[in-house]
Amino acid sequence: MKFPLIPRTVDIAITGRCNLDCKYCFYADEMTSLTDLPTPAWLRFFAELSELGVMSVCLSGGEPFARHDLFELVDGIVANRMRYNILSNGTLIDEHTIAEFEVGKRRLRLDYIQVSIDGSRAEVHDRSRPASFERALRGLKLLKRAGFPVTVRVTINRHNLDDLDNVAHLLLEEIGLPSFATNEAMPVGLGCQNAAEISLSAAEQAQAMATIGRLLERYPGQLNALAGPQAKREMYSEMEHARRTGEKPTRWAMGCLSGCGCVFSRVDVMHNGSIVPCHMLPSLALGNITRDSLREIWQTHPTLAALRERRAIAMHEVAGCGGCEWAPYCNGSCPGLAFQLTGDFNRANPTDCYQRFLKESGRNYVG
Amino acid sequence: MATANTPPQDSSAILPRYLRNPDVVFREEDEDGALLFNPDTNGIRVINATGVFIWRLCDGTLDVQGIASRLDQEFEGVPASEVAGQVQAFISEMVASGYIGTVVE
Repeated sequence: MKFPLIPRTVDIAITGRCNLDCKYCFYADEMTSLTDLPTPAWLRFFAELSELGVMSVCLSGGEPFARHDLFELVDGIVANRMRYNILSNGTLIDEHTIAEFEVGKRRLRLDYIQVSIDGSRAEVHDRSRPASFERALRGLKLLKRAGFPVTVRVTINRHNLDDLDNVAHLLLEEIGLPSFATNEAMPVGLGCQNAAEISLSAAEQAQAMATIGRLLERYPGQLNALAGPQAKREMYSEMEHARRTGEKPTRWAMGCLSGCGCVFSRVDVMHNGSIVPCHMLPSLALGNITRDSLREIWQTHPTLAALRERRAIAMHEVAGCGGCEWAPYCNGSCPGLAFQLTGDFNRANPTDCYQRFLKESGRNYVG
Repeated sequence: MATANTPPQDSSAILPRYLRNPDVVFREEDEDGALLFNPDTNGIRVINATGVFIWRLCDGTLDVQGIASRLDQEFEGVPASEVAGQVQAFISEMVASGYIGTVVE
């Protein structure tokens, strides 16, 4: 499989600390069991990334703004000729934070800050992200008012399923964002422990898809998703279309385990320096930035090679999918969730299975 | 050789020497070429193997003739006049887009 000699971007959880306690945090187990690397270790790593030609880093956590040396790290990214973005809960962003971004090239090199908003009001948002709505909204509005490139991620769960129309109104009309992204609470980490409370059933998935379809008619192109009900709605529709017409999409490969392109352009690092294929695969440690060469890992590690090679596996050869009528049209979805839920990344992600969705939701098709 | 429509060139005129923009990131993508990335503008420029060769020669010591001469030695079979013209066009575009600058004496 052809892949670039060096990853284009590196996603870094720079801290395991967080000021919130969200019900579906997929990173919660790692946050409690691992410790943060100190500033100099990250600065050395940024120099290595620059030497390699990595173009950007994504800073997540934990909560990135919980690190008191965050802007020292940002300066290290800037000095090493990279761009960056930040995934935040928004609650620690204040006027002082906004002023800090004006120093040097910090703002010039910032692609975007993503703030998580899960409801149109505190009673909804705070059920999955406790006691944080007002502060998150204040942070979001400060960023928007100051002209920052800011995006929002709405994680759809049982608590906000009936609030999505209001969320869209708040974000797109009241605050004036050009768009926002949706996802769903995944059954991993705390999301697994709290699955009964927050994970969507198949019927609720169908409801979310219908709501998103209606919102997209009202706000064309202003909702986007890489996972969750919106992404599934698009994928299932394409599967239906392909089966009906024989026309397969060009943007992704059907009929093989092609559901993830991450390992072809990106690698992730946890807050203790552990290099992993993806934050959704935290137990598949490839090395550590404090002792291993990222170039060597990227180019030669057998686990990365295996994850890239899964594209060559036909869906009808995948365990559990052999007799599925949808196998020629499926891509197996996220290997991270497949691994966490089945113990094997060469399986299909069961939470995105269309056959299962149809059976459990009682629907004939998604469109 | 100068024609009636072009003024005679002064062979003693000093040609600019070219230097890579130090803020631009050079990424080897694969064996076929590379990518130049300007983190300030988010601009990306894909260059082929010849472009990579020229990029590496832009160290502030060579003018366009010097670069064309080195390229001529590296890639045999291409007429020297053709090489010089192509080098000039490539470098002019790279200078205009900020990937390469000229040395200021």
